[in-house]
Amino acid sequence: MKEQDKIYSSRSQRTGKFITTGAKIGRNYLKHYSKKLISGEDNQEELQEKNAEDVYDALSNLKGSALKVAQMLSMDQGLLPQAYTNKFAQAQYSAPPLSYPLVVKTFQQHFKKAPSEIFDEFSRNSVAAASIGQVHKAKLDGKNLAIKIQYPGVANSIQSDLKMVRPVVGAMFNISQTEISHYLSEVEERLLEETDYLLELKRSREITEACAHIEGLEFPKYYEDLSSAKVLTMDWLDGYHLDKFLALNPSQEIRNKIGQVIWDFYDFQIHRLQQVHADPHPGNFLFQEDGTVGVIDFGCIKELQEDFYRKYFQIMKPAISDDDEEFSDLLYQLQFLLKSDKTEEVSHFKEIYKDVLELLGRPFFSETFDFSDKSYFEKIYAMSDIFKNDKMVKNAKAGRGPKDAIYLNRTYFGLYSMLHSLGSKVITNSAVDALFTEKV
Amino acid sequence: MAAAPKKTSKKVEDIRTMIVEKYQENLLLEGKNPASVFAFCKDLEITEADFYAHFNDFGQVAAAFWMELFHKNISALEGSAEWEDFRTREKLLSFYFSFFEQLKSNRSYVLLVLDQKMFNLKKGSSDLSELKAAFKKWLNQILIEGRSREEIAGRSKFNDIYDDLFWYQFLFLMDFWRKDKSQGFESTDEAIEKSVNFSFDLIEKNAIDSAFDFGKFIFQNR
Repeated sequence: MKEQDKIYSSRSQRTGKFITTGAKIGRNYLKHYSKKLISGEDNQEELQEKNAEDVYDALSNLKGSALKVAQMLSMDQGLLPQAYTNKFAQAQYSAPPLSYPLVVKTFQQHFKKAPSEIFDEFSRNSVAAASIGQVHKAKLDGKNLAIKIQYPGVANSIQSDLKMVRPVVGAMFNISQTEISHYLSEVEERLLEETDYLLELKRSREITEACAHIEGLEFPKYYEDLSSAKVLTMDWLDGYHLDKFLALNPSQEIRNKIGQVIWDFYDFQIHRLQQVHADPHPGNFLFQEDGTVGVIDFGCIKELQEDFYRKYFQIMKPAISDDDEEFSDLLYQLQFLLKSDKTEEVSHFKEIYKDVLELLGRPFFSETFDFSDKSYFEKIYAMSDIFKNDKMVKNAKAGRGPKDAIYLNRTYFGLYSMLHSLGSKVITNSAVDALFTEKV
Repeated sequence: MAAAPKKTSKKVEDIRTMIVEKYQENLLLEGKNPASVFAFCKDLEITEADFYAHFNDFGQVAAAFWMELFHKNISALEGSAEWEDFRTREKLLSFYFSFFEQLKSNRSYVLLVLDQKMFNLKKGSSDLSELKAAFKKWLNQILIEGRSREEIAGRSKFNDIYDDLFWYQFLFLMDFWRKDKSQGFESTDEAIEKSVNFSFDLIEKNAIDSAFDFGKFIFQNR
């Protein structure tokens, strides 16, 4: 028991340390820690990694959408030590593939023809896994195409998956059952949308057209006549996935360029379109050596309601907490604070939110921001530990924060992590500045 | 006796198909076999001789439905361009997918038959006995091909029971499909994928074979 207590008390420092080595999970990492073990230091990191593995194994026995929920909640809570992130990222690539005969059957159902009758070439094996389907490569009239095919039964399994995931996630992230319900309705809605490939096609077109002016971005063209609710056909984009791209040792100049493109892309979506590609998972981007970024997979789009949007960003403006009245007012409106809170809860939560907002908003508060800054990300992780271990937060009976924020938080979390991996220095000009100067 | 037969204008195959279709319709409407071959023929305006030229009893008519489905399925599959390149696993998957796709258009009839006879089905219903023989014959053929291409491990005596095991898999899938409430019978698709993958993971060359080989070696070299 004593051992346990000790481990918990030093967790935040440990997590911080963990991040610095987070990228090199695996054998080296274990070696490193078995040394520590011998030298008598506590081995919290290893434990955490082991935990991540166990949790991951448990979750991978659930189906795809359950895994996604866990992934998402963990991001939203900011509770995600690097070990979890890596494990979850793998999940994207490890679904059991659909057999070729089933692919043929799906095509016949939707197009009355086998893929070999439609395309000049069609890869019999899938070349990549998408979150709820798999991708095949095809050729038609000299053009390379990517064809995404959905796993059967995904839509039907979402509800039952969410039920299954509820207790697991609750235990895993220390979230109360009420809080989970608060999230699940929003998550379920998005997940169900993701299973409709025709909706994805429509939205992909809208966003890619609206963002066509941003230089350095590349979007695939989508083909309606070769798409259906379960099959989506688009241009094949060339490029490397993030890890492979980084292994090529791109110059700092290119890293900055890419980071800037991605930043501008998201800033435009969030603050101008007010609908956003809410899945900035590295797997959805393809990088080219000249700094061009290809964006694929618009399955998960979050539309931001004007009212929510304004409040959410107004509360992020610099030094908001100096004006206590305005700050409290916004906290109540966004349901971070509830009318039922006791006085000591109010002041306690306010203090926490003040720190969180200052930290997460930091990239916005300066001209440029260096996302390679490790100490910044260490602070974010350390903060998530405060959240996790704070008694009052844990005991709070109701879920907090607007549920619309789940996907927006996830977007920023993904965006920051990706820019961090890229080590980009970004000019953080944002269209949000206009809002910061407004009064509520 | 029977109403004026028009058989002269009909081809032999037409009568056969007619009998099968009429029998199905009758079963669907009445829920049971016709009272007699006589009544059945009268209804269909053919002679009893026409009937007996094709079938000995209603059991054979019922079996013919399954056989037709089976043959149609196999010839469609073997006619497709990619069939020859398929591995054994893919051949069986394709067989199941298209078979259950065809069953869809006869679902009421199949449900009726399976509901009535599911109990017998496990022991072997007479409706399905011909299908069973044909399926096993076809399966053995693709298994032998698979063995000659070294996809499937030859395991001496065990080889002989594979066809029975796959027949039970087929019955299991039919039963699954019968109860499937999912949209577009997606769950059946999943059941097919998973059960075929599981069975082929077992019969393809795997750890069992090397374990056996190793065991034999140790035993012989003690």
